Order: sequence, then C-alpha cells, then structure tokens
Amino acid sequence: MDISTRAKLKDRPSGPQGALSDLVASDSKAVSVKKITGKFKSKTIIQGIDLDIADGSITAIVGPSGCGKSTFLRSINRMNDRIPGWSLEGEISVFGQDIYGPDTDLLSLRRRVGMVFQRPNPFPMSIEENISCGIKAHHLAPRSHIKEIVRARLEEVGLWKAVSGRLKESPFQLSGGQQQLLCLARALAVQPEILLLDEPTSSLDPISTQQVEELLREFVPELTIVIVTHNLAQAKRVADSVAFFMNGTLVEFGTATEIFEDPRFPETKRYISGSFG
Amino acid sequence: MDSLPRLAVNQAGDTTSVSGLGSVLWWRRAWVKIGGTWTKVSDRATPAVTAIMAVVPFVALILIGVFLFKEAFPAIKVNGVNFLTHSKWSVGSEYANPIKKSGVSIPVGATYGAWPLVLGTLEASVLALIVAVPVSILSALVVVEKLSSRVSHWVGACLEILVGIPSVIYGLWGALTLGPFLSHHLGWVASHVPNVPILRFFRGPTYNGEGLLTAGVVLGIMIIPIVASTSRDLMRQVPQSLKDGGRALGMTDSEIALKIVWPWVKSGVVGATFLGLGRALGETMAVLMTSGAVLGTTAHSIFSNMNTIAATIVSQLDSAQTDGTGFAVRSLAELGCLLILITLVCNVGAKLLLRRFGTTTVAGATIAANE
Repeated sequence: MDISTRAKLKDRPSGPQGALSDLVASDSKAVSVKKITGKFKSKTIIQGIDLDIADGSITAIVGPSGCGKSTFLRSINRMNDRIPGWSLEGEISVFGQDIYGPDTDLLSLRRRVGMVFQRPNPFPMSIEENISCGIKAHHLAPRSHIKEIVRARLEEVGLWKAVSGRLKESPFQLSGGQQQLLCLARALAVQPEILLLDEPTSSLDPISTQQVEELLREFVPELTIVIVTHNLAQAKRVADSVAFFMNGTLVEFGTATEIFEDPRFPETKRYISGSFG
Repeated sequence: MDSLPRLAVNQAGDTTSVSGLGSVLWWRRAWVKIGGTWTKVSDRATPAVTAIMAVVPFVALILIGVFLFKEAFPAIKVNGVNFLTHSKWSVGSEYANPIKKSGVSIPVGATYGAWPLVLGTLEASVLALIVAVPVSILSALVVVEKLSSRVSHWVGACLEILVGIPSVIYGLWGALTLGPFLSHHLGWVASHVPNVPILRFFRGPTYNGEGLLTAGVVLGIMIIPIVASTSRDLMRQVPQSLKDGGRALGMTDSEIALKIVWPWVKSGVVGATFLGLGRALGETMAVLMTSGAVLGTTAHSIFSNMNTIAATIVSQLDSAQTDGTGFAVRSLAELGCLLILITLVCNVGAKLLLRRFGTTTVAGATIAANE
C-alpha cells in the first residue's frame, strides 16, 4: 500500500455501503469463521459463531459488555492462545487459510492480522523505534529504507507534524490520542491485510476519536478492518457491516443499514434503541 | 511551658478495669496539662516517638562512621597513601620496643598495605556479578514469562529460601564441594590456556580449588536470589498490554523480552545489581572460607588464592588484638573505613546510573497511572 493510493481514496464516499450479499462474494472473504465455540476451562465464552468478513470492508462488532466481542476478535489473530484454560473449536480462515491449522506460522499470521488495543500501549522505546521495531522483526525493509517508512506511516495517521522533531524521544509524553495514533501507525508498519481494533477509541477524547474514525475510512478497501466498539454511533459512522453479539452468540449480522434501520431480531432492536447494554 | 506537666490518669472519669492490660496501658488514657491545656499523652507522644524511631537509622549510620573513623585516624595518619598502594601486611615485632611514627606508637616493622585486599574485593565482586546477573535476569524472565503460576510460585519460594541461607553454609559448600570440583575439572583447561596478556589471567595451576574463582562463583550464587527476585518482581510489573502489543505485532518471545520487557525493567535491574554488589563487597564468611585468605599478594590468575577487605578484617582481628600498641586494630578500622567508602561509591554510582536510565521509569509510572 503506498501513500498516493491512500490519498486518492480519501474521496471515496464513506458510511454504510450496499447490501451484505454484495459485500461478501465467495471469493472475497478476508475472514471466514465457521461454527466456533470458545471456552475458558468449562465456561463457554463464545458459542457457535458463523461469520464471513468481506475483504476491504469495515465490520463493527457490537454488543453488551461481556458478550464475547473481544474474545471473538482475539481469536482471529490467536491472541487467546496464551491464556491457560482457553480452548477453541471450529474453524477460522484468513484469506482461505485455516489459521488454527498445524502449518500456521503464528508470527506471520499476526503480521498479516494486526491489532490495536483499547488503551494506547506504545512500547518503552523511542517514537521512531515504536514504528520500526515491527518492520525489523519481520525483515520487511532494508535498514536504509526504515526512516522513510517511519515517516510515511506517521504521515498516514496524521502524526508526522506533531512528532517529526522528537522521533528519538519517548512516546509517553504524547497525549493519549497521539499515543493511540502511534499504535495505529505501528500496526500499519508491518503491512497487515486485516486490522483488528478492540475498542480503539474508548479511552480517547472526542476529537481524537473522530480522527481515528476518519482514518479507518481511508484505510479501506486496501485493508480489512474489524472493530469492536461499545459506541453504536461509531459503528454507524464507520462500519459497512455490523455484527451484534449477545451472551457469547452472534445474534444478527448484516449491513450497517440493515442493523440500524431494520433489525430482524427483537434483541438487536432493543440494544440498538438503547434499552440495555 | 509555663508549668511542669501535671499528670492525671482517667481525667475523663473513665473507671474501667485497672487490672491486667488496662493497667499496663494506663498512659494511653493519661492526660497531661501543657501550657494550660489538657492534652492526651498518647497524642503528644506519638509524633515524638515516631520521630525518634525515624532518626535512629540515621544516627546509627553517623555514629558508626564517626567512631570507625576516630578509631582509624591514627592509622590513616601513619599509613598514608601507602595503605592504598602497598601490598605488605605485617603487624611487626611483638617483642621489640614500639617506635613512634607521626606521634603514634607502632611495633617495629609494622607495615600495612591494603592494595591486594582492595583489588581482591573488587575482583571477587565483579566476578560474582558476571556469574549472577545473566543467570538472575534469565531466570526471572523464565519464571515470569514461561512457567505456570504454580511452578513460578515454587521457584519464588526457593529464591526466598536461598536468600535466607547463612553465608557460612555457602562457604562450607564452596570450600568442600565447589572448590575441589572446579579445581578438578578446570585443571586441564587452565594449564592449556595460552600464555598471552589477558588470557594469562585464566592460566595456571588450580591448586586445591581455593581462590578467586571459587570465591567469586560462591558470591555470585549468593547474590543470585537478591538480583533474581528483584528482577522477577520488576518483570511482573511490565503491563500485559505492552507484551500483548508486541505479540500482536508478530514479535517472538525473545524480541518481546529484549525490546519491550528489558527497556521497561532495566533501571530497576541495574538497581538490583548494585544491591547484589553491596552484598558481595561486604560478604565475609563465605569469602574467608573459599578464597585461600592469603595476605600480601594480589591474585595473578583466576585460580590464585586471594583475600578481600571484609574477610581480612575477620581473619586478622584476633592477632591484631595481641598488638600491645593497638596499631593493628586501628589499621583494621582503616580497612573498615575503606570498605564503607567503596560501598558508598558503588551506591552513589548506582543512583547516578539510575538517574540516567530514569526516563523509562517515569514512562512506566505514566502508563501505570493510566491503567
């Protein structure tokens, strides 16, 4: 992905797109989830989830607290693997490849499926190194190009002007919003194909939130984005399709328009209208 | 105070039991009139008592320093710079009449040079750090990142037990087991090390195993628990969100350890290392039992007998007390001053180093506050 294509994409209309069936053509699935059930010890956290995420779209996952949204998201890049007592049945494929299969390279999976977390988590190293460490870890570019890439990624997230003079300094002096943008740039630096966002704006102020949302719209369709959010308005603003989770199951999945304007299930309707959650 | 404090027990009319505990704790209910107002004794006393308690360590430090220096002063005057540069350590003649030097009476032939001891102390401590620091950091990392919480709990308990083992036990093990073992198994290697500068230091006969290497390794093992348990506690404080961030970026465990965990803990680990160094510098018994406790010569190889300041003070105190002029004891006191000075320099060095590394800690605090 280069910057110039990104720039052109800014003119792309944002907001809810066409019908779901158009979005998920069989050959354009970025993530295909088949009947997954995840358990922590004997407690079922997510159950029987079937979901196809279209390549180049933004999918929002909404639902009340504790409904398994984050757990589901973290199964897509296998971040739950380390949790003692965690087990997952079913199949998740990323671009047709079963990621829980025996020949999955976990490191390259996580490079392809990037993640940004709820709270900004810049590493305890300089701003520049925060971006470059992933590139170096995956040998994505020769050393001589790294400075350029760092700059490009920072420009992409709109952070370059703010930090260009202090690339060697600690990222912890940046504001929360800037730190989150840095984490976004860090995730982008390893050229992911899919980006998972776990409530990325829940700890940010409204202006930073808007900034992140606008960026997300710029990143598609080169990037497939899955965003877990508590904020229904945010889902409405950025998502092409929306999945509504409740009690560990997928209640309804459809285009943003369908979910927000004409939900099929009463639970969805009640949640959307703000009756609970 | 315009009048002497007057004491009144149970001024509030409280007539509860005066037997048993109540009678012992009578002062808690006592009131005293100071400057015209009645005040509860315990209210007045608490700040005073805590202030005294708080000052005790400071006063103790000053007193130790002052008295040691006072004891050592005549020796400092007589021994001069030679104390630091010369190697010969001799109490002199017991039988000849003492002579006067710089106004201090000393036995004929008494000469005190602490250079081998200073060097020995530093060599053994540095060797101990070389042994202890890598082992400690790696074991802490394994305990925090790799082992299940149950196993790491047991490993932690073992570390704490290791801290509590008396140094004489370490010394005994070093003298009876480790020394002979090293001597036996390194003998061939040591005799085949090329005779060139630097490497020469690792060449030579291994004798019976008592010497710098054994002392250093025993010291190292003794400080492993200190450095390891501190490092482990520090590594536990690395926010999970940072490690998750690294993992989500596709970093390997070693990359996460090196690039995320290490920068986060390094200042603390440096501090822990100096804590261990402090212990190594001052350790007496284990060194005495494993070093060969030779006087008057520096170690010319890592297998040579040697001695440290602390071990010398202990081993020489007995014979020093037979010196009728008291000069030998004063020289040992000077040795004590020197050890305090070295420890002090190391501590200040640690503080300065920590200040240099300080930014990471500040960053840590920032994130911790956000969590």
